[in-house]
Amino acid sequence: MDAFFAAVEQLDHPEWRGKPVIVGSPDGRGVVSTASYEARAFGIHSAMPSAQATRRCPDAVWARPRFARYAEISQAVCEMLETFTPFVQRVSIDEAYLDVTPTHTDPTDPVAIAHGIRAAVDDLGITCSIGVATSKTVAKIASDHDKPHGITVVRPGDESAFLAPLPAIAIPGVGGATAERLRDVGIRTIGDLAALDEASALQLLGSHGPELVMRASGIDPRPALEEHGVKSVSAEHTFARDVRERTEVAGELKLLVERVARRLRSKGLKGRTVSLKLRYADFTTKTPSRTMAVASDIDASLLPVALELLSEAWTPGAGLRLLGFGVSGFAERAEQLDLLSGSQPDADDRVRSLARSIDAVKARFGDSAIGYGHAVSDEPDE
Amino acid sequence: MKISIARGELLEALSVVSRGLSSRTTLPILSGIHVSTDGDTAVFQATDLEVSIKTSCKARVEQPGKSVLPGRLLTDVARSLPEAAITIDTSTPNTASVVCGQSSFSMKTLSPEDYPKFPEVAPGQETVLPAETFSHVVHQVSKSVSRDETRPILTGVLVVVETGTLRMVATDSYRLCVREVPLEKAPADIELVVPGKAIEDVAKLVGSSENITLGVSENQVIFTFGATTFISRRIEGSFPNYNQLLPKEHTTRATVDRAELLEAVKRVSLMAQHNTPLRVKVSVAEHTMTLSAATQDVGDAVEDLQVTPEGEDVEIAFNHTYLLDGVSVAESDTVALEVTSPLKPGVIKPSDGEDFTYLLMPVRLG
Repeated sequence: MDAFFAAVEQLDHPEWRGKPVIVGSPDGRGVVSTASYEARAFGIHSAMPSAQATRRCPDAVWARPRFARYAEISQAVCEMLETFTPFVQRVSIDEAYLDVTPTHTDPTDPVAIAHGIRAAVDDLGITCSIGVATSKTVAKIASDHDKPHGITVVRPGDESAFLAPLPAIAIPGVGGATAERLRDVGIRTIGDLAALDEASALQLLGSHGPELVMRASGIDPRPALEEHGVKSVSAEHTFARDVRERTEVAGELKLLVERVARRLRSKGLKGRTVSLKLRYADFTTKTPSRTMAVASDIDASLLPVALELLSEAWTPGAGLRLLGFGVSGFAERAEQLDLLSGSQPDADDRVRSLARSIDAVKARFGDSAIGYGHAVSDEPDE
Repeated sequence: MKISIARGELLEALSVVSRGLSSRTTLPILSGIHVSTDGDTAVFQATDLEVSIKTSCKARVEQPGKSVLPGRLLTDVARSLPEAAITIDTSTPNTASVVCGQSSFSMKTLSPEDYPKFPEVAPGQETVLPAETFSHVVHQVSKSVSRDETRPILTGVLVVVETGTLRMVATDSYRLCVREVPLEKAPADIELVVPGKAIEDVAKLVGSSENITLGVSENQVIFTFGATTFISRRIEGSFPNYNQLLPKEHTTRATVDRAELLEAVKRVSLMAQHNTPLRVKVSVAEHTMTLSAATQDVGDAVEDLQVTPEGEDVEIAFNHTYLLDGVSVAESDTVALEVTSPLKPGVIKPSDGEDFTYLLMPVRLG
């Protein structure tokens, strides 16, 4: 999708169309989440500190992010994509891969499908750019090649010619730090990277090196739909400023637990291992974990364990930048039944059916439609 | 202090109190054994603050006194020495010399002033039980004690003496074991929950003693046998109402030779790895109980046993360790497995009429 969040804001606010629109929070330590193409003309880009963006374009319209609305549009786009092929892999709220390889029963040209998709997205009032290629890496790079509203087709056999002149940083998996390391040894383009031999790739880029080099040559055997079993479900939150109060941290932890538990239920998973991710003000990171006797997908049983881990790993007063919560160790299909909880068979079922009802309300009316009545200040001191 | 003790008696006393040695390195004093004199006996104490153990043995006391000696080291030294008199002399400050024949050791001691005082507990109620019966029943139920500290009450054994019977109950919520034995003499009634580890230690130590006295105070339980006093905290809280958990009826009963079942469970369990369940299928028409287990990417095992069946065919699955534990402590020549449905508890009972019930929850197959 092109400038997805900003485009949605311009869709919903016709008066903002044609103006520089920035989605994000203009104050404090905020950063730009998405800038419309009009704003990008001022040199504003995602992840730029808000203060800097304000300096560059004082007249920009600032829109507070409305993730529920973006998720709604994203869902609509996805449902539309599924009318073209069932092989859709959604990788983020505004990106997806489609496997549209022509088959005997459906010989449609992928380029024609791309035009069909672009038109269908236009109908939704927003725009997208599409890359058509024989592998995910090349398709992804091609989709960024002609933004906005562009379709870039890389024909079979043309991959390395297409990639070679592009900067190395265009390869997914090469970030700022890696690009700098490559620049130091004179590797600037994807073509330079593709010319590396395996040993130098290993030495320069570590274990991912040889794979990156392969992808730089346009070779990427990953199927559009990767069928790997889910190993863990997690969520994390970066605080706008370092937090030190237990009530605040515990409150955020509750929200993360609720989110993860809800995703577990929607995936039909129950996990036994609960882990936290704590990043302190000095960027040191701890990931304490504990394995419970019984697998769970219920907030009420995950939260006490999470709070216990929090008490053990963090002393109120120490600044915390980031908090994450995850569940793994998914139950084998055979489940040991419990004698004592079995004596009140409906207790657990009632909690689960309550949780499912809340999930259903949230799915229909949005995340903020319903929640538990605990105020963060009710958090007991431990 | 200077005392001489026969090696055998010293070693026995040290083995008894060693069960109370702490493994916590944060309190070094608790890794020591407190040795003192009382007339012509030597008194040994150890505590990890959960339990306190005191025992004594005959000694030739040349110089009364007290000291704290490194517990494990002293026990290892005593064990390594030949059968003769061992002399412990603490006349040099902070040092104990341990001499036996031509061997002599010296070891650093700790201050007896720093050692926790042995608890003085006035028991409110007391009851006397035959030691052998006591330790036997502990052995039968203790496998079912929970190791999960999050439900403290389940880490203990419920001990009930009433109307001339001794009953012990333990459950980790996956299985439940109830054993009741009649007593020849009707001792005083008591009821309490004792930490599983403590009662197991007592059952091992009670050895050749004839009787064991249980004294119960508000927070503690005092076991007295021979020259030994063993004090443990009690676990507070109410033990689950186990009577309510025991099934009142069953739809299938299979009676089987216990030794055969035990061996078969052990064999089939080899293929129940990574906690995969062991399946038990009773065919009434065939007079068989089929045990089977399969682990993905490893293999499977099946074994048929001849049984005397009653009721309906059934297939149920259990954790193999829980099944094995139950069969191994049931003790009679033949046992009966009683089942109602694949999701209801199974019960193992001896068929000789002994009052023993081992209930185990099944595994729900996905």
